[in-house]
Amino acid sequence: MSNSKRITLQQAAEIIKDGSSLTFSGFTIWRRPMAIVYELIRQSRRGLHLIEVQGGSETEFLVGAGCVDIWESCWVGHELYGKYGANLSRKVAEKKIVVEDYSHAEMLFRFAAAASGAPYAITQTSLGTDIHNPEYDMLGRAGLRDGTRIAKHKYQFTEDPFYGAGSLVLVPAAKVDIAVLCVQQVGEEGTVRVNGQYYSDPEIARAADITIVMAEEIVPEEYLRRNADQNTIATFEVDHILECPFGAHPTGMFGKYDVDGAFLKEFYTNTRTQEGYDAFAKEWIHGLDHISYLEKLGWPRMLELRANTAMNYSPREKKGGN
Amino acid sequence: MSVYASPEEYGLADLLCCAASHEVLDNEIVFAGTGLPMVAIMLAQQTHAPNLKLIFEAGTLDGRPPEIPTSVGDARCEMGASRSSGLYDAFSIAQRGYVDLGFLGGAEVDRYGNVNTTCIGDYLNPELRLTGSGGNPDINSFASRTVFIMVHEKRRFVENVSYITSPGWRVKKWPGGEFVHRRELYGAAYRGGPSAIISTLGVFRFDEQDGHMYLDTCHPGATPDAIKTQCQFDLDISRVKGETPPPTTDELRLVHELLDPDEIFIPKTKKS
Repeated sequence: MSNSKRITLQQAAEIIKDGSSLTFSGFTIWRRPMAIVYELIRQSRRGLHLIEVQGGSETEFLVGAGCVDIWESCWVGHELYGKYGANLSRKVAEKKIVVEDYSHAEMLFRFAAAASGAPYAITQTSLGTDIHNPEYDMLGRAGLRDGTRIAKHKYQFTEDPFYGAGSLVLVPAAKVDIAVLCVQQVGEEGTVRVNGQYYSDPEIARAADITIVMAEEIVPEEYLRRNADQNTIATFEVDHILECPFGAHPTGMFGKYDVDGAFLKEFYTNTRTQEGYDAFAKEWIHGLDHISYLEKLGWPRMLELRANTAMNYSPREKKGGN
Repeated sequence: MSVYASPEEYGLADLLCCAASHEVLDNEIVFAGTGLPMVAIMLAQQTHAPNLKLIFEAGTLDGRPPEIPTSVGDARCEMGASRSSGLYDAFSIAQRGYVDLGFLGGAEVDRYGNVNTTCIGDYLNPELRLTGSGGNPDINSFASRTVFIMVHEKRRFVENVSYITSPGWRVKKWPGGEFVHRRELYGAAYRGGPSAIISTLGVFRFDEQDGHMYLDTCHPGATPDAIKTQCQFDLDISRVKGETPPPTTDELRLVHELLDPDEIFIPKTKKS
């Protein structure tokens, strides 16, 4: 029983098929499951439909590699280390990707609806903006709104029937095939303990049909169950687990390591063009596995990024990424 | 008594940061964005608003970070916070109406404070795809006041933004897209709207009744007429109060010695 959920990095990527819809743990440049993202790129996955509360470095790596056909979200970039998503921007200009824009809160509420089994969420955000422009329903324009996994409508308006609060917007539950999480600890049976801000991890793990958890370490269940109040996600919400230290690099992980700002800056600067992306991927992704990737990074860099256990971040890492 | 710094002692980023800080009132709940606004809010916390409560979009509630986080997802956010949680908490709290003030940015703005961070050019055939909305429209929908910090260029202060990412005072009513006052759309959720734009040339405010932007103060060296020529729309310069106050020497010391000593967001003008 105790080992039944364990898989390898390669197997984790193989669960994600061509055409799967996919979402990730973390926030922009924090706790993204980069080791699995790299493996998807190595395996040349195609036709992915990313549904993300917000994008980040993981989006840019997958989009640049040509793995993604549809991106449904609200934001992409590398924060301080890259002000926008240059790969997404290029693919949009070339019309090689369908982008469906929602607001950040709408995306979050869409996952919260899916996580609670509700067909849609109700909110009063973003009224009067072009997010609700009927001409800008891009999945509708692409003829993909079949009402099965992709909702019949991008949004609907209604009036508050109970308290007369006025206009409300309904946004469809985010129905997603697979959630891939990157966390500090998972138990042998799947109990997840996230340290620090848990972002939208509880909602996405519950919303997805299949949840894969990649952790810095797999720990005995008994250890996590001693303090159940500190745990974030329960065993039965998790289908597969794997251990992968530094699996979020170059994104950061609270209590473990900082964002590798210099790495992200280099990625952002060098991947404006497809040729630049391909050269970067050749150097850092293709022909490597996770261990050889870490060897290439090297101990000095990893030690620099390593978090101080009292502070939960690295006091050595120069935040500007220089 | 505070002493204003002399022109050679501060730079434009200092001026913007201090102007942003002055928008914060004590005891307010403030939604913090990444970058210069975070320094501005922490500056307010160190000066005139010691009781402000800071919310980071990624889930930190009443944060008191001992050093400046690089983004709202940063591990530096939660040290000393009242609670570390997630986005569901942060956005629910905002929709519930707790948030007094939010700081935001934008690539383009129109006379009603509608802001674009999504694309330049036709959305269906864009010249340039930008980052997208992020929480910009959400904070702007839910907070009582929002303050935008923007680079001032004529191509950014436009008659019509390429895409309304974030709602100003007069917004589009769907499905037709005619402009109406936001009060008509937001119903019980109407709490206000953009209260100031701090650009690299001046500070702009809005007439809450008809929703149009007017020039409030000019940064040192700028004139109302010169600023008006840097807007594609007909900027109202009839209510100008004077010059944007320069940073005080105390504010500069706090920004550069305490809050951002590594010059991550605010470069030092004068090396000490």
